[in-house]
Amino acid sequence: MKVTGTLYLIILTLILVIYYLVCGIYLNKLGYYNHESLFYIEKSKIVFEGLGNRLKVMGLTAPMIPFYANFPFLFFKTLAPVIASATGTAVLFYIIASTIAKRLNDEGYIWLLLILFLFHPGIIYTAASGKSIYLILIFFFLFFLNLFKFYRSNTTFHVSIASICLVILIFCDYKFIWLTLFFLPLVLSITIHSLNLGEQESIFRLFLSFNSPSLRRKLINKTFALYIILFSLPMAAVLCYKLLNLTHASDLNYFAESPYATWNVLIDKLSFDQLTTNTNYKIPEISILLSARVVLFCPMILIAMYLFRESTYQVLTILIPFAFIEFLHIKYDKVFLAYQYYMIFLILAYLCVIFKAHTVKNHRSFKLLLLITIIFQLYFGWYYLRTSSIAEEQNFVKVLFNREPDDKQQDNMEVANYLNSLPTQSHVLVDDAIAYGIIAFTNDIKPIIMPYEGNFLSALESPDKYVDYVVVATAKNVVSGYTQLNNKYILSIRQTIPDVNFRKVFETNDWTVYRVITNGSGNTL
Amino acid sequence: MSISIPELLTNDGFITAGDREAIEKHSIESGLSFIKIALTSGYISRKNYDRSLLNAGYAIIENPRGEAYDVDVLSKIDLNFAHDRLAMPLRIQNNKVVCLMASPDDGLFLDFIRFTYDMEAEVIVASDLDITWLSNKLLGDKYIKSAVFELMKRDPDNSAIVTFSTAQLIVIFVIIGMVTIGLVLSFKNTSIIINVIISSFFLVAIMFKLFLALVGSRFELHQAVTKDDLKQGNDDTLPIYTILLPVYKEDKLIKKLIWNLQSIDYPRHKLDIKLLIEEDDDKTFNAVKNLDFPAIFEVIVVPFHMPKTKPKACNYGLHFARGKYLTIYDAEDIPDTDQLKKVVSLFAKLPPDYICVQSALNYFNRNENFLTRMFTLEYSYWFDYMLPGLDTLDIPIPLGGTSNHFKLNELIELGAWDPFNVTEDADLGVRAYAKGYKIAIINSTTYEEANNEPFNWIRQRSRWIKGYMQTYLVHMRHPIELWKEIGWRGFMGFNFFIGATPVTFLVYPLMLTFFICYVVFDLSSIRTLFPDWVLFMSIFNLMVGNILMIYVNMIAVFKRRYYELILFAIANPIYWLMHSIAAYKGLYQLVTKPFYWEKTNHGLSKVNSPTNVVK
Repeated sequence: MKVTGTLYLIILTLILVIYYLVCGIYLNKLGYYNHESLFYIEKSKIVFEGLGNRLKVMGLTAPMIPFYANFPFLFFKTLAPVIASATGTAVLFYIIASTIAKRLNDEGYIWLLLILFLFHPGIIYTAASGKSIYLILIFFFLFFLNLFKFYRSNTTFHVSIASICLVILIFCDYKFIWLTLFFLPLVLSITIHSLNLGEQESIFRLFLSFNSPSLRRKLINKTFALYIILFSLPMAAVLCYKLLNLTHASDLNYFAESPYATWNVLIDKLSFDQLTTNTNYKIPEISILLSARVVLFCPMILIAMYLFRESTYQVLTILIPFAFIEFLHIKYDKVFLAYQYYMIFLILAYLCVIFKAHTVKNHRSFKLLLLITIIFQLYFGWYYLRTSSIAEEQNFVKVLFNREPDDKQQDNMEVANYLNSLPTQSHVLVDDAIAYGIIAFTNDIKPIIMPYEGNFLSALESPDKYVDYVVVATAKNVVSGYTQLNNKYILSIRQTIPDVNFRKVFETNDWTVYRVITNGSGNTL
Repeated sequence: MSISIPELLTNDGFITAGDREAIEKHSIESGLSFIKIALTSGYISRKNYDRSLLNAGYAIIENPRGEAYDVDVLSKIDLNFAHDRLAMPLRIQNNKVVCLMASPDDGLFLDFIRFTYDMEAEVIVASDLDITWLSNKLLGDKYIKSAVFELMKRDPDNSAIVTFSTAQLIVIFVIIGMVTIGLVLSFKNTSIIINVIISSFFLVAIMFKLFLALVGSRFELHQAVTKDDLKQGNDDTLPIYTILLPVYKEDKLIKKLIWNLQSIDYPRHKLDIKLLIEEDDDKTFNAVKNLDFPAIFEVIVVPFHMPKTKPKACNYGLHFARGKYLTIYDAEDIPDTDQLKKVVSLFAKLPPDYICVQSALNYFNRNENFLTRMFTLEYSYWFDYMLPGLDTLDIPIPLGGTSNHFKLNELIELGAWDPFNVTEDADLGVRAYAKGYKIAIINSTTYEEANNEPFNWIRQRSRWIKGYMQTYLVHMRHPIELWKEIGWRGFMGFNFFIGATPVTFLVYPLMLTFFICYVVFDLSSIRTLFPDWVLFMSIFNLMVGNILMIYVNMIAVFKRRYYELILFAIANPIYWLMHSIAAYKGLYQLVTKPFYWEKTNHGLSKVNSPTNVVK
């Protein structure tokens, strides 16, 4: 059997889909959820079932592409993100495997890739968690693949496709916009390389180009043109998106800074709280050590650099993600580096191997070396996930490997079940900035009044006129400070509207459901 | 006079003995008269020839057009023979056949007169150009009729003589009726539906163009014919190549034209270059007559017949073409010197169903002004990316106006150009696909003069857009048959490339107006008419459409290395507005005067073009 054939690759991909789905559904049954997937489920419910300004939710929920990627699977309700990520990760396998099949006439590399996709905890996390890491990895891979192809072919096609992939990557995770920053010097290096000069050494090529007026002009024009081709689409797309935010939410950065638009605003704040209150400072996340951590996580990247050693600008290309994560660490110093920023190195390293494997003389030893590296990576993949500073990542390992039921979302589910049991005409006031987890588990969101609806503020001011129930965050809820609907709200309404009172009807650790009652009649509305 | 014309010219030193030998050899091979070859293959200028004749005692008639003629006498000679011999009989007078001859000692023609009329000839020496003019005028009737009506007779469904078929008119009026009824019954909902359809169509059409450009850019370094391929070719085995040069009032460009043609790397005796001059175009005619250096083309005078279009002139010229392959250039064109050889080499490599090869077009005066820069960007993405994209996807290629190289026999079999279509080239491309033929793209460029004057530009563009509309209407008379003939991919490509192009230009100002009213002026009535989601969608489509179009234009600079033009791509929305003006003009003309040929003035550029661009 020749596994490099399209049919066999498709079969392997389908097997992987099933494998990931089994993992994902199993985790789901154990009660594993994460903030990102719950956020997407909740927003999708608003888009398809909600009442009010759904267009704003649809257009401004970020990151946009992972959000939309759930739509085809919404039939499966809370499983939708898991199915999307399982399918997407298998597609990533197919893309990488078909690249191998096209470039290398050696099944060994596909088997090695399969080992990685079957056993690497990071890949399983990508596939079974329902997070959008799979999309980041797909477009990160395609972006670099086309960049490397451009180095070889020097055609506009590859640089344009790379640019389109970068746009999608940015809309999968906005932080990747900073990747462009490190391409600025690289593009100059690429241009110098592409000039038709007799001199081979980069530094001398640069010297020659700067000292000849015609070459200098050509160098500047070409560099500028390359910048534009590579970055004009991402820049224009981001600009348009920001304008869209400005016109629809009166805030250019609404998509990145509002907890109603994106899930990680709240999580990042929690992470900051954790950081400032934690007495054990996380030593490994000191700047320079971060790159060392990456090398430990993915030693294959060293092999990749070795393979590209003869071309300065190609080595620089591999180093860009290092600069990128170091930058992220400085820029977002209150946030731990998420697992996906390690995973990109795994993909990049394999891409580089695919690209340069044909230059290796002894394939057998090389594949053995790769196998050892992969085994090493499997261990560190697991170790990093287990010791991650991010609770969600740790939790994933705990649930998957210990097979213990996860009760992190238990509170949300219980509240949701209570809301589901209410009469259909009852209206409930919920702030989905923090309560999206509850909404995700509800059966019908029509009776729920949320901030995307025009009457939310009125309901907030006069709950007796608009709603029958209010879901309020308790003091124990770690994010209770990020919503108006907390204990203080109950007190302030009682003070401002003496006729209105609240009766506690359901309570969990994090949430309290109050029934709104008027002192006169004892009933609302 | 006992001395022969070749001898006379040799004695006068206008041609060498070697030239004479070459001309005589060529004459035997081709059947053309000695003087025709001498005058049209760059051996001797007309002025020098006249000088020789006068010195030898011949009198050259000044105004042969005023000579009386007898229709019966004319009916016994074919125009082709008159062309070949540069001679024609006029009338019978004093028991002699009065003949106009450019070379009074042409024995073959004199024998023809004797055998045909059973009389001796009385020779009046006239300029070859005057004879050509008169012979075409008096003998060209059947050829011009064929040039105009051949396609219509043979394949009426593919002729644009009828702009709108009855079925199309019914469809158009039914749509107008439905829209009107819709607007009366529910103004708001109908407006919303129209808005959504138009804006979505706009975006899809542009995304299709981006897709094509990307597909095309993938093969930007691919060379259909390499230098090694060219080296392997042998000049002796090259076929005769016809070049048609349709001109109208291009007197200023004639010298440049000769200069450019002389640079073509192809054996001179295997070139059959025909300058097609309209009967009433005295300017160009006199410019050719007054040339004081040897011309390398033969003049064909196209008799007056409506419609006065370039395809009609080309069809007329086709009757006299001798080549195995044929191409068309405009007067100001500067083809790559090795273009013809490359085409011959490519045809040899391609399967027989490839009947046409399109070269890329670009501009030599790109840095002249804003318009020429934008035009260059547009042509660069069109010919360097779009057409190769269409070629790769096997979608009908709308041929460019010039530098399309045909196999002559297959071109005639196809019915040649439609004289009623003002973008006959695009139409022919689609027709070729519909008949099962293919078109290839070659890595050779012809440099033209970019239109540098806005009104002239709009005239030219309105004709192109009108032609696209005509072509679309012609081929969509039987959409199901077209689908069967060119497949679903070709059909979709045809609709999105030929059909959508004029539509996008027509809807663009409407969308821009919406955008300005909504975003800039915040017009409240727009908000009441259209819900937010419709406005959001329209603006999204417009903005993304424009950004992608700008991006496609930016891509264009890469292959040609015109990096300095990249920022001009940002001005594309303005350039599109000019397209929209031209599109509305084209639409108006499509209804009022569909066959009217908006003449583009050439020679306006002040940029000195390089004599040739050798790759």
